[in-house]
Amino acid sequence: MSPSTLALSQWILARLMPAARAEALIGDLLEERRLRLQAGSHVSVAGWYSRQLASSVPVLLWASMRRGAWLVTVVTAVASFIAAFRIQMVLQSALWPMTTSSFAHDVIMLLSFAAAVAACGYVAASIRLGAARLLAFLVFAAVCAMLAINTRAPLWYEGSLLVLGPLATIAGATLSGWLRRVWL
Amino acid sequence: MFYLAEQMPRGDFLGSLEQIVMLAVMRLGTNAYGMTVRREIEERTGREISIGAVYATLERLEAKGYVSSFTGEPTAERGGRAKRHFEIEAAGHQALNASQNALKNMSEGLSRRWKRA
Repeated sequence: MSPSTLALSQWILARLMPAARAEALIGDLLEERRLRLQAGSHVSVAGWYSRQLASSVPVLLWASMRRGAWLVTVVTAVASFIAAFRIQMVLQSALWPMTTSSFAHDVIMLLSFAAAVAACGYVAASIRLGAARLLAFLVFAAVCAMLAINTRAPLWYEGSLLVLGPLATIAGATLSGWLRRVWL
Repeated sequence: MFYLAEQMPRGDFLGSLEQIVMLAVMRLGTNAYGMTVRREIEERTGREISIGAVYATLERLEAKGYVSSFTGEPTAERGGRAKRHFEIEAAGHQALNASQNALKNMSEGLSRRWKRA
């Protein structure tokens, strides 16, 4: 089993449990793996390790869902996603009458979208960091879906939407983390 | 019998895996942590059990107040990671006792029927 496979398996396990428990569990797996390597072949130990991982992940995933961590993350991300699009609509309708140029309208759309998504990314990250990551993914998927349906927009606009959406979410989340570090 | 049922609050009975994990923790005493509990169960029951199942069960037992845990020192053979030691609390002893007694009472006098089957 390669070090990268081991690192990946540990990364997966660490996502499913609180940090202190994950550290203990990964330590237990490594300790037993070392013991087994002294007595058995690399192939049999790799098989044992893979079986342990395959049977542990569903159980830990279920325990994590019962703990509510996933539910809170998903609910926060979806609520932030809905809020972002609502805010964007409000901003857009407020700024739209200020100009008649179609280029200016595109810029207003982009800026209001970025501002709304960044603000919701900030709020989501304040509640749960994972929610901000999920929000960035949701925004990216929504923009992809929107562009697939409506292909009349200019290329620069489509590209900007794709990049700006997730980037603004991450920027909002980063700002939230930075402010928390400064204040606490 | 009705009196006993009233005396015993709901949720006092442990599941079979919960009982097995608690018995393993009890057997191991001060050396009860994830890996040793998993190996003890495997050696005594002959069934392979995942470390994830052991931890999920211990977490459930800890939430019920039957088991407590504390973090040990990090060691080199664990890649610098600390052990999490477990021990049975008084409420855990009571719950285990109640569950074992219930099983014993339910199976009393049935050994001949088992043999026949």
